[in-house]
Amino acid sequence: MMMIDKLAYSSPWRYKSTHLKSCFAIGTLLICVAVRSFLVSSVILALMGCLTVTYSQASLSRYGKMMLWPLGFLMLGTIAVFFDVAGEPMGLLHVAIGSKYIVMLTESLAYGARLILVSLASVSCLYFLILTTTMPDLMDGLKRLHLPWLVIELMTLIYRFIFVLLDSALAITTAQNCRLGNRNLRTSIRSMGGMLAALFIQAMGKSSALFDSMEARCYEGRIRVLTEHRPAAKKEVLLVAAYLTGLLALAVFCHMKGGL
Amino acid sequence: MERKRTIVRAEDLHYTYEDGTQALKGLDLTVQKGEKVAVMGANGSGKSTFFLHLNGILKPQKGRILIDETPIDYSRKGLLQVRKKVGIVFQNPEDQLFSASVRQEISFGILNLGVSEKEAEEKVDRVIEELGITPFAHKPTHFLSGGEKKRVSIADILVMEPELMILDEPAATLDPKHARMIDGIVDQLSGKGITVLLSTHDAERALIWADRVVLFDDGKVIGQGHPEDIFRSEELLRQTNLEKPAVLRIFDTLCEEGILDHKLRPPRRVEELMGYIREKGIKQL
Repeated sequence: MMMIDKLAYSSPWRYKSTHLKSCFAIGTLLICVAVRSFLVSSVILALMGCLTVTYSQASLSRYGKMMLWPLGFLMLGTIAVFFDVAGEPMGLLHVAIGSKYIVMLTESLAYGARLILVSLASVSCLYFLILTTTMPDLMDGLKRLHLPWLVIELMTLIYRFIFVLLDSALAITTAQNCRLGNRNLRTSIRSMGGMLAALFIQAMGKSSALFDSMEARCYEGRIRVLTEHRPAAKKEVLLVAAYLTGLLALAVFCHMKGGL
Repeated sequence: MERKRTIVRAEDLHYTYEDGTQALKGLDLTVQKGEKVAVMGANGSGKSTFFLHLNGILKPQKGRILIDETPIDYSRKGLLQVRKKVGIVFQNPEDQLFSASVRQEISFGILNLGVSEKEAEEKVDRVIEELGITPFAHKPTHFLSGGEKKRVSIADILVMEPELMILDEPAATLDPKHARMIDGIVDQLSGKGITVLLSTHDAERALIWADRVVLFDDGKVIGQGHPEDIFRSEELLRQTNLEKPAVLRIFDTLCEEGILDHKLRPPRRVEELMGYIREKGIKQL
């Protein structure tokens, strides 16, 4: 997660319009999920992959590894889709259990594969967005979409405190390790417990200190901050519009051809 | 020239925390407009607690505080007025920075004062420029170094253009280079006519910088005055566990030995002392 954060801040597309990047990524995602087509998903996966590797600081190998994270979950999730229970042997494979058979049908195999492909393509859309857009920018974007202010404020504070508390947690863990706190499983578990307890107390203290300092700056229950204005260039808007139209046309075509 | 006026007057402040710690036990202090005051004293002597009283974060259980000769009004509107005038830079920037974006962070206070976005933007940009934040203004706060975070936390307050700025141990935990940079910023603040109240453990620095040193001990002010007077009072130094700055120690020894004249103005900087010695002629030493 820290890595994704770091990459987003150094992306060459960091200062492109957040709205445009979101429209591009989310638009593609919606089309991808709506048509669930082999062809469309493959195109999206390839396109997003190329764009992300070119316009973020993620290298090809790192991007590949990041794609493997969801793949693990997907495999586990789709195993159930691959197999069916039938009264008689059929399909590609069959295993007899009592009077029933566990079978693998060509259709369910295709269905499962498509599910995985569509999911990976969707993930690639989100990866594109988060690897080229920083968290504060995304939150600015959500604010413009009129997400409730409370949610945005919570996101702001939580995002900031992930790093503050992580620093504390790491410091405590290092200090424990220096005193052999991770010598064996027993001491490791005890150290972990101690660290979490200390972290909780620190978090309480920090939140009250933060509240004081915000009050000192005339905080009255609403966090008002400047938002960044990054208007998109006309050319870029047209390009994204043309691309989305093209993708939509391809999607409709695939849909009419029936499950390409 | 503007006539000196009192910006802070604290009278007989008492404050006890919920856990029973008596932090302030009858504290009196006045600060004049434009003054540079160094507050010194051991940890736990009540410095930070006192600071939190000055813009109404804490309310004294006994005694009162006047800002610009008006007692603090603890209503919502009254506090807003006080906090507009009195800004606090907290000791630990992590307690103050709430946003991952430097610009957002700095804009928070000024927008709370109810100015327009456009005006706030101009002021934020000016402060970013002034404090040399530009090179890291686009970085998220969690990638900043300690010195950079400190500068952002000062910008947080400076952008609100307070009349009195309180800095709680601004140079603590910083390396010498960044500590000197913060010293420079503090001088910049005084140059703008902002009254500065800062706590420090660095007697050498206080001697050079401050118009007045105030010594805190056990929730009370036990001594205050010109730094050269305070730091030459053996009694006060012992009570507060402070060490006499080297410049004064050497000066006093030279006076005792009859090499320098007692009537000379006590030096604040090493250069001044060197000047005295040169005047006297090095050979005599």
